[in-house]
This record gives sequence, structure tokens and C-alpha cells, in this order.
Amino acid sequence: MRTLLKNGRILDPSQNIDMVGDLLIEDHQIEAYGPNLDVADVQETYDCTDMWIVPGLIDLHTHLRQPGFDHRETISTGTQAAAAGGYTAVCCMPTTQPTLDSPSLVDYILDAAASPSSGGAFVQPIGALTVGMKGEQLSDLSALRRAGIVAASDVGAPTQNSRVMKRAMEYCTQLDLPIIAHCEDLELSQGGSINEGPVSAMLGLRGIPRSAEEIMVMRNCLLSLHTGCKLHVTGVSTWGAVEMVRQAKYLGAPVSCDIFPHHFCLTEEDVGEFDTRFKVSPPLRTQVDLDIIVQALNDGTIDCIASNHSPYASHEVEVPFGEAPFGISGLESALGVTLTHLTHKGILSPLETVRKLSTAPAMVLRLEGGTMRHGETPVAQITVVDPNHRWRFDVGRTFTKGKNSAFHGMELQGKAVVTFCGAEIYRDAAFPESRVTTSRKRS
Amino acid sequence: MSRNLLGIRHISAEDLRELLALGAEFKRRVLMREPLPRVREETVGLLFFEDSTRTRVSFEQAAKYLGMNTVSFTGRGSSMSKGESLKDTILTLRHERLTTVVMRHRMPGSAQLAARYFPGPVLNAGDGEHEHPAQALGDALTIMERKGHLEGLIVAIVGDVEHSRVARSNAWLLSKLGAEVRFVGPKTMLPSHTAMLPGSVHYTLETGIHNADVVMCLRLQKERMLDGLLSSVGEYARMYQVTRQSLEYASPDCLVMHPGPLNRGIELDDDAADGDCSVINDQVENGIFVRMAAYWWALDRTMDDLKKVAA
Repeated sequence: MRTLLKNGRILDPSQNIDMVGDLLIEDHQIEAYGPNLDVADVQETYDCTDMWIVPGLIDLHTHLRQPGFDHRETISTGTQAAAAGGYTAVCCMPTTQPTLDSPSLVDYILDAAASPSSGGAFVQPIGALTVGMKGEQLSDLSALRRAGIVAASDVGAPTQNSRVMKRAMEYCTQLDLPIIAHCEDLELSQGGSINEGPVSAMLGLRGIPRSAEEIMVMRNCLLSLHTGCKLHVTGVSTWGAVEMVRQAKYLGAPVSCDIFPHHFCLTEEDVGEFDTRFKVSPPLRTQVDLDIIVQALNDGTIDCIASNHSPYASHEVEVPFGEAPFGISGLESALGVTLTHLTHKGILSPLETVRKLSTAPAMVLRLEGGTMRHGETPVAQITVVDPNHRWRFDVGRTFTKGKNSAFHGMELQGKAVVTFCGAEIYRDAAFPESRVTTSRKRS
Repeated sequence: MSRNLLGIRHISAEDLRELLALGAEFKRRVLMREPLPRVREETVGLLFFEDSTRTRVSFEQAAKYLGMNTVSFTGRGSSMSKGESLKDTILTLRHERLTTVVMRHRMPGSAQLAARYFPGPVLNAGDGEHEHPAQALGDALTIMERKGHLEGLIVAIVGDVEHSRVARSNAWLLSKLGAEVRFVGPKTMLPSHTAMLPGSVHYTLETGIHNADVVMCLRLQKERMLDGLLSSVGEYARMYQVTRQSLEYASPDCLVMHPGPLNRGIELDDDAADGDCSVINDQVENGIFVRMAAYWWALDRTMDDLKKVAA
């Protein structure tokens, strides 16, 4: 079986490749790429003229909700959403019920992800850093590692006790397991639902001060520096947090970080009249933060863009603002929002855009994918992106069960149109049938 | 056609003037025993998910004066305590054929949520720390009765502004109608960012009420001490209690106001609370008349409509 992606702009940040050419997938593996490939016996040809051919996107921060919260999302719907958003792999957070702190649950998730009902994206489980995510006793991380977790995390219940965090880092260093940290001092953020600022003051909502995030970013970076533990800070939202990460990197700490799309294009003012679609954690900040964040994306201080996919059922969101959960369903909007607000505005080059969404996430957790290098991935993970396709993001047309999105109704420019993940192919209506040629000749 | 009274922030100065004029006219008619309009076809649901006696009684009194039917709900023992969502509660009331909803709820923005699912007027009777519009209307009517106008007045709001819906609604109303608003209190009780609130910030009572025409005290929630906002009630009283002595800094005929319930000896001393300049009882009484105005206005009726109700 040979599939040829023809005449696209091939972008591979892992090799700094940016060229127009063809890419050949043979038996679900990347076989060759280059200008004007001369290939015979091609079963399917995708005309990628004016489109990008990139390594499949990889998400470091997805909540798949299964088991325990299947009304919000399942592994099946979540991976379909991932493929539709251009992702070929998602790292799922341990925020399940029960918490992902035992090897049997890792097996359960990997089995469900491998079942035929799943969409075309790999699932990489992230284990709970502590038992029950209580922040007290460490999970059996060695056993979890053997079962297949790619990182340990306290997302959902940030570790408050510094001694526990230090021990966790020491232990993870030994296991060579990265820690993904959600940085929040819960005493400072207690009761808060939006950024502490003029909008919270006006709306009478309790504010979450920026220091709640920055103090924990600083603490975790210092612990990483002193223990040597690989730390990935997820969801930086303030200029201070960015500066902490910058400083930690300067000091030589093995630290990386990601940002969520809403934090580089929305501010606290978008909350408007208590619109719960804009309630996220960390909260939307200010224009000053956006300005620094954009620079930090550009200079590489912010390594990755993560979707923060946090699906909720409608009834959970249609409540007073203070009672609403934090989060938006981001898998199907992340690429479009990134292209619209960063790439087309000249903040990130096409190559850097792909790096933040694919190559860098793969490197942070040493995952397969994020590259087109021959033999580096057992199966092809390739996404075709139409960078100029104009569309309106509509939660009525998404695969995820979570219809909670700050981006609903937003005009976007750029979309993933075909996602190849091994044998699975997702093709969007924006990639017309007429661009696909199927050869009747059998090989 | 109907309108919502969700917060003062959303209401134009013109509508605020109309509401205050209506309130004054309703008061005149009630005191003069002149005929009042009867709005018999309306049924008001009084939804109090948070305890409140004075506000509920005031809305109920106002409705009765207008001949409206009222139905009361409280949070306890209701379907809400059985886990029903606010959205479903509102949808149910809509089909119970209630025509107007008055709601108090501990969550900011809950009135906005209710208005999304209720077709008739929604009157906010206090949504968490966000707004308490009828209170502000009653307070403004009280000031206007004594001062004749709001424009150019200096109004000092003293106390826990950060956690006060009364402070927010009053600040919006007074500033929209031309008064100068000052927020006075300890730094822990004033919003740390006031760029989107219409008032200046003062940390000492002396500067805050300097030349003030009105001093509006806020109720001190004693549980705030547990949150670290206060060291002690005594310390607060020493620094921010409005007394005959501290009123020396204000203008000579400065009004003293308080939304109640009072903590005598904390926010105010007896002299200030009971003195000639205290209008605390007028605030309560005027609360009824502005709520009549609020119902009338929310049903999209005007002063002209009211004047057609013949003597």
C-alpha cells in the first residue's frame, strides 16, 4: 500500500526542513520525502498543493475523562476529536475516576485506545504523581512506568507540600520520568474563579492572583534545579511565570513549559457578563501578559503549545460562574487558533509553529513522532494542514462530547485537513475529494 | 415587552433618573393615599436562595402595593436543595406561570443566568458580591430627598468594599448621576484593582470622608477576620468607625447611611447612627418605593403610564 502526498510544503522542525515536495507513505510508514519523488504503483495520491505536510501534532495536556466521567468524554470520542484537530498522539491526564495511579488502569486506557472504536490518534497515559492525587504518598511510579506512562503529573490537584514535591522529583529522576506540573498555590487561589484584577473587582468575583501561579512555578523550578528532575510546567499564563521559567533555564534546570491557546489570545476582559466558557485554569490574564507571552513564544522560552482539552457536559457549564468548572475543549480548535493568532500574525514561522505543536512536545516526553526521520517512528504520523482555510469554529460540528469552548463562533484561518496515524486516516471536508486520486491498478 | 434589573452597571443614567422619579412618585401616592396602579395579572416569584428578611419583605411589600401576587421560595427545602440546577429551577418557575422573578443568590452573575432562561423581568435582589441594584436605588432616593440632587456630591463608602454588592451598585449609580465616589477602608478590604470601578481609593477615614456630603457605612462581616482581612474588630472600629468626632472631617450636614443590619459600636457609634444626619430608617422605607418603581419599569411602563392612573 503506497500513499503519496504530492506537492506540499514539507515542514519538519526536527531536521529544520522547509521545502516543497512529496512524501511517500508505504505500509503506514514514512518511506521517503523530497522534491518530485518518482514513485510507481501508488494507490492513493493526495494533492497537497498550497498545503503543509507536517509531523502529526502531539498534545501534552488532554483530559480524556474515561474512566469515571464518560459523560464528558470517552477515549473514543476524545481520540476522534484529536484526529480531527490534526493530532496523532495525545497525552492524557490522570484526572479520571479512579485516578490513574495503578498499572491496571494504564492497561485499561491503552486497551481502550487500541480498540477499533477509537479515533486515529495514539494515547499516551500520564500517571498520577501521588496516590489518589492527594499530594501525600507517591504513586508506584516504577510500576506505572513499566505499564506505559510517559510522565507523572499533579494536574487536577497541584502538589502543595514542598517536601512531597521534592521527594517526587528525586524519585522521578531515578526513574528518568518527567513530571508535568500544574503550578498553583491553592491557598492563594482559594475561592477564585477569574484573574484578580479590574474585571474580578467589577464583577464581584473572587480573584486568583498571579502570584498563586508564579510562586509554584518558582518553587517547582527550584526543586527541579536542585534535584535534576525533568520538569515540564504546563499552562503558564502570566509574564512572571514566563520569567521564572526563563530564569530556571538560564540556571541550567531541566525545565520546559507549555502554554494553552487561550492564554496567548484572550484576556480577562473576554469573560464579559459571566460567560462560563471563558472560565479556565489558570485564568485568562491581561494584555501585558499576552505581550510578554508572545515574545516568549517567539524566543523559545515557551517550548510547546498544549490544547488543555478539558471537556465538560453542557449542564455542568450552564451554572453560575463561580460554580462552573474550569476548562475548555481544545483539541479541535488549538491548531486553528495558533495559526490565526501566532503564525498569520508573523509571531511564529510555519516551522516554529509545527515545532511547538509536534516536535517539541515529542522531545519533552521523548515520544515517538514529531519528526519525519526515517525509522524513528514505527508508523507514520503525518498531518496535512491547509494554512489558509477560513472557517468558523462551531462546537455543533466537533467530535468531542465537550461543547464548552471560548472559541465557539470565532473566525479562524488554518485547519488540519488530513491526519494519517498508521492505518487510520481522517480526512476533513476541507480537503476535497477531488484532491484524492485512487489508482485502480493493484500492486 | 419587559426589562431586567440585573445590575446598575447596565442601566443608563436616563433610566436611572426615570426609576428614581418613579420611586418618588410612588412614595408620594402611598403617603398621600392616592390611587395606585393595580397590576393584577402579574405573579412575582420571590426566590431567596440566601437568607434575607429585609430585602424579601421590601420586595413583597412593593408587590402588594401594586396588587401583584407573590409566591415565596427559599433555598432550604426547595428543589434546589435536592440538587436541581438553577437553570432547571428557573425553567420550572417559568412553566408555573410566574411572570416576574426576584432573586437573591450567593453567586455573582446568577441573575444574568436566570434572565437567560426566564422570559419575563428578572430583578436582582443581590447576587453574591456583584450587585444589589434596588438597595442602591433606595439609597439614591434617600440622598435626593435630603440634598435635592446627586450631581457634585461627595459620597464616601466606608468598609469592606471588596466583598460588598451594596458598594458596587451604589458606586455605579452615584457616579452615573454625577456624584464623586470614594472607597474608604483597609487595603485588605478594598479591591486591589479599581480601574473598572467608578471610585477613588482612601485608606484613612479622615482623608476619605474629608468634605463628604454622604458617608455610607458598609456592614462588617465578622467572619472576615478568619480570612486575614482584619486583625480585630476593635482595630477596625478604632480606624474606621464613623462617630460624631470623625464626622467633623465631613461637610457639616453630612448624611450618615447604612444598608443594615447595623453592628452598633463597630461601623457606627450611637451618636452617628441616631443623630439628626442619620437617614438609615429612610433607606429602609424608600427601599419599598424604589422596588415599586423597579417592578413598574421592568414591565416597561413609564411615568406617563403611571400618571394615567387617575387620582
